[in-house]
Amino acid sequence: MIADAIKNKTKAVIPYITAGLPGMDATGEIIRSLRAAGAAAIEIGLPFSDPMADGPVLQKASHLALKNGFTLEGLMEHLGDWTTSIDIPLIVMSYINPLMRRGIGETLSRFRDRGVQGVIIPDLPSDAREIHALCRDIGIDLIRLVAPTTTLQRQEEVISQCSGFVYAVSVKGVTGVRQCLPGEVARQVQGIKAMTDLPVCIGFGISTAEQVNDMLAFADGVIVGSHLMERIMGDPNPVIAAHDTLRELIGPGIESIR
Amino acid sequence: MNGYFGEYGGQYVPETLIPALRGLEDAAVRAFDDDGFQGEFSSYLQDYVGRPSPLTHAKRLSAHHGIEVWLKREDLNHTGSHKINNALGQILLARRMGKPRIIAETGAGQHGVATATACALFGMECVVYMGSEDIRRQHMNVERMRLLGAEVVPVTTGTATLKDATSEAIRDWVTNVDTTYYLLGSAVGPHPYPTLVRRFQAVIGEEARGQIIEKTGKLPDAVIACVGGGSNAIGIFSRFIDDPVELIGVEAYGDGNTSHGASINFGIPGVLHGACSHLLQDENGQVLDTHSIAAGLDYPGVGPEHSHLATTGRARYGLVRDAQALEAFRLLNRLEGIAPALESAHAIGYLEQYAHRHQGRTVIVNLSGRGDKDIHTVLEEGL
Repeated sequence: MIADAIKNKTKAVIPYITAGLPGMDATGEIIRSLRAAGAAAIEIGLPFSDPMADGPVLQKASHLALKNGFTLEGLMEHLGDWTTSIDIPLIVMSYINPLMRRGIGETLSRFRDRGVQGVIIPDLPSDAREIHALCRDIGIDLIRLVAPTTTLQRQEEVISQCSGFVYAVSVKGVTGVRQCLPGEVARQVQGIKAMTDLPVCIGFGISTAEQVNDMLAFADGVIVGSHLMERIMGDPNPVIAAHDTLRELIGPGIESIR
Repeated sequence: MNGYFGEYGGQYVPETLIPALRGLEDAAVRAFDDDGFQGEFSSYLQDYVGRPSPLTHAKRLSAHHGIEVWLKREDLNHTGSHKINNALGQILLARRMGKPRIIAETGAGQHGVATATACALFGMECVVYMGSEDIRRQHMNVERMRLLGAEVVPVTTGTATLKDATSEAIRDWVTNVDTTYYLLGSAVGPHPYPTLVRRFQAVIGEEARGQIIEKTGKLPDAVIACVGGGSNAIGIFSRFIDDPVELIGVEAYGDGNTSHGASINFGIPGVLHGACSHLLQDENGQVLDTHSIAAGLDYPGVGPEHSHLATTGRARYGLVRDAQALEAFRLLNRLEGIAPALESAHAIGYLEQYAHRHQGRTVIVNLSGRGDKDIHTVLEEGL
């Protein structure tokens, strides 16, 4: 259960990595090293040719992974091994088009069969009732995003069609590291928490242990993507880089696994 | 407004943009109900763009093909293409919404020039995203945009063409949504854009229908227009949809093999840039690289309404290769003294296939833009 995995963690950090970078075997090793470093859950991003919600780092990661030969069918061959090698939830992030190519229901069912517990779709249709119902029937969490611009009425609609956790987007913009984060995030998270018992995790722009600590004062978890991928892409040993980066973010002196 | 055309259309966008799209739809509905807005738009079309654009009987081209060809002269609009109709309409909307900063994507540069022109006219900040490959092949339009005071931002990601420029414009919009109006140039993108763009381009069909009846006493047999995203086509089609008139869109067939931009002919339904429509993609759902000699047709998707018209059979979509478009470009120069944009040259190029089976018929071709911008490209290919 994704919600339990987050709630049961003192410092729930969810690392995001792009699948297939530098290769599929390396992705499997990185997943295990992130688990060892204390991840609460792991989000793996499926590379897409046109990632319109992503900043430069994740665009580059997507592009490189596709150049290295990533395919959805190739992923299906590895997913089962990845999920059985860790005792924390694996979540898939994908733009909607690759999921639709062979039917979204069939693709999500195949993810579930391979142990994937949740899915995040950044370009979900604005009316997502059908996909929400589909995910419920299949038995996979549909994690929804709430943005700083989201109105209260829209927030209610989104949260009512959300499971696993609510993904609070910290800033207006695309993914990527930012110097500072707006103070309104705390109010945004409190607003969401007043509407739901689901855990609320914050993502977009987080890159330091200090930011992680600040956010965890009011949120249940944080998601770290671009910062981690930048380190992974810039290091000759991406497995160790992934582990060390996550350790730095979770911080010293605190027992990360209960 | 309904956000879908059959199964196509919708709003597949980051959550941050949902309120902005709702706000845009509300503003558009209010504007279309407001006679003051319609009057303001019409007066700019008349006194600034120079509408109505003429409907020219292309006599020598008609004789050449054995059909009666009438050209809807959008090339004679201010800025040289149909794009100015939509740019002015949306700028008036942006002003009503109080957004001081305008962003746009452009392929051939025609929409970029039209947007930069409208921004200059109203003293608004303008940023245009353009693929670096398109900047190279449409250099004159880049200089025009800069002269008009716009900032042209080169986009080097992906194939460095229109699709990547569109992605980058969307990224800018997500980041600066409070202050920024995204002036989308074609009948693509999330609802309400396809409907909005059709409304502003419908003036083409409205005029053409009246003009052809006035000049020939009857409706044409067919209306032919090139389709990239499909704004000039949907604009002229819109007024003939309920008539017994054949509607023909012409897609860019590139090299006539695997390298082209013919989404309706070869794509399958998918989602790109916020809407569901025919999309050129591989078996893994990755968007394919496209090619057309016409930068404005070099796009892997198409407007959702065209997908719907193709699926219902109300319109059909033909194919014209690069070489055929170049030949049509030369032909129209020599026979009529008109240099068409390479995009519009695809619609002219289709006449040969059409005339083969339909001798004596009467057609309107939407001459969506003029070809000054393309002379460099045509010279590279050899006269």
